[in-house]
Amino acid sequence: MFWKRQVHIAIVFITGILTLFGWFVDSPRFESFVNDDATQWYDIIASFAIILGALNLLKLQFLKIVKQKKDWQYSILAVVGFFFAITAGFFWKGANYIHINNVTANVSTVAPVIAEMEQKTIEQVLPLLEGADTYDVGHIFIIKGSAKKYFDELTASGVNAEMKEKSWGEHLLEEGTVFNWLFKYLFTPMSATMFALLAFFVASASYRAFRIRNFEATLLLLSGIIIMLGRVPLGSSISAWFIAYIIVLSAGMGANIIWKNRMTTFAVVTGGILLVTILGWISGWPVDKPGFLYLPVLQEWIYTVPNIAGARAIMIGIALGMIGTSLRIILGIEKSFMGE
Amino acid sequence: MDKNNFISIIIKLGKVDRRVIFLLIAVVVLLPLLFPIGLPIRATDTTQRSFNAVDALGQGDKLLLSFEYGPSTKPEIHPMAEAVLHHAFSKGMKVYIVCLWPDGQFMAIDALNAIAPQYNAVYGEDYVLLGFRPGGEAVVKGITSNLRKLYTVDYQNTLVESIPMMQGVNSLADFKLIFSFSAGYPGTVEWVQYGSDPTGVPMSTGTASIQVNEIIPYENAGQLRGVIAGMPGAAEYEALIGKKGLGTSGMDAQSIAHLVIVLFIIFGNITYFLERRRSEKKY
Repeated sequence: MFWKRQVHIAIVFITGILTLFGWFVDSPRFESFVNDDATQWYDIIASFAIILGALNLLKLQFLKIVKQKKDWQYSILAVVGFFFAITAGFFWKGANYIHINNVTANVSTVAPVIAEMEQKTIEQVLPLLEGADTYDVGHIFIIKGSAKKYFDELTASGVNAEMKEKSWGEHLLEEGTVFNWLFKYLFTPMSATMFALLAFFVASASYRAFRIRNFEATLLLLSGIIIMLGRVPLGSSISAWFIAYIIVLSAGMGANIIWKNRMTTFAVVTGGILLVTILGWISGWPVDKPGFLYLPVLQEWIYTVPNIAGARAIMIGIALGMIGTSLRIILGIEKSFMGE
Repeated sequence: MDKNNFISIIIKLGKVDRRVIFLLIAVVVLLPLLFPIGLPIRATDTTQRSFNAVDALGQGDKLLLSFEYGPSTKPEIHPMAEAVLHHAFSKGMKVYIVCLWPDGQFMAIDALNAIAPQYNAVYGEDYVLLGFRPGGEAVVKGITSNLRKLYTVDYQNTLVESIPMMQGVNSLADFKLIFSFSAGYPGTVEWVQYGSDPTGVPMSTGTASIQVNEIIPYENAGQLRGVIAGMPGAAEYEALIGKKGLGTSGMDAQSIAHLVIVLFIIFGNITYFLERRRSEKKY
């Protein structure tokens, strides 16, 4: 029990108190602990957490396959993908390139072969070869065999060529390696696709759910429309006077709902249209004036006034909650980190 | 066609299958990409402030860029990263890049490969990519207190002490400006809290549209010098530096897509009212 509970609580208490003191006590030792040592410990622990996360993912997916839970077939894909990525990262570099010796004496014969491999023109390659005794071809071959044709051509042109491999670590970022291929042609398009689907779901959801049911829903809908149009160039092309006319028509609808009298509605709409037209004519119909009816200005106001007020309230609430929870953890009251 | 029939058709249209909506969105996104309209782009105040923050730096000034986004938000954030790199290289700044996200390193390499050659920028002299380190805010704290302890080698495993432009760079305080390209956690908020605020080094950011709500209070409080908000922000920045890029080309599509969504909302509400009125009449 002592090793399972008290030791953990003691470690958390001591580390928490020391970290806290680092901010409030003017001591170089504490400051050094918080700013350097503790953060480095965190980096190391975070790196180990990646391993734990990977193992947990594998365990969950394997269990799903073994128990044949709903959509278990997708888990096979996840496991295969996982092992493929691990293989490409740790076991199979797939990062072979051709290293050429004694280039200087054979520039004219090797230049066309290198140009073909690097997909450049001979004119682009020649300056790179001049004065260079050795040259690393900037093209990666995942399998050594695929370089055979070029390798033979280079050897035939009189140079001493040899196959080399990029070092571990370098193989992750070098263009054309297995891992880079995996990232560029599988991970990137799949991630982008998932995020791009948002546009379709937003369109469908807003069509079905954005309804003027009450005052709050109306406010939300209007803000949504203003931000959607005000954020994009189209919004800045919509004249403030057009918005003024829409407001007049809306006022007419409102008047009709309240008084249910055709004459009153007619008077509100006609009066409003006349007023807007006269004001617009006098001012010369500037697109962005009056500012409070111009969509980009309106959206900026929504972002910087009501939105910030709400966001700050949430942030302050979260901060207070974090202080409370941190104190509870440091003092050993909250033990959820131990699985309790 | 009598009035009742017309209303019935409208109500029926209101119950259109969502796949039709998906198809329409796909068409309105695709068409402007194929046939650009070239809508005029006007910089918002927040983008202008970001531009001013970078523009205030001169030749040789040290600019720290942090890449915290991946392929999912690449269409939104990558154009702004490229635009800021254009701006920085064109003014001869020294660009230092760190990544809080593992994918960020790939994004940084992509952006550098596209922009650095245009200005004949030399690695190690004009720009350096220090790479990714795990730990989120702990990495920011590490850079703040002692960058050399955290980064002993760059992304190519070259010793940092052998890189010419790293001479005299020991901590965050040595930089003139921090610029974070962020799509979430860890990102802009962590840079403000553990980097910019404690050291007083000014900071600006470019974020995904979805994150702007969370970031804008920091900008409003003066902790951030401007925010480039999503793809529209990227297009605005491109307009400010006079280099049309991916942000500008995506703006027509986004504009029309937004307009279509707004039209959907209006039409959805019309059908909702008609349906409600009809059911009220029945009872």
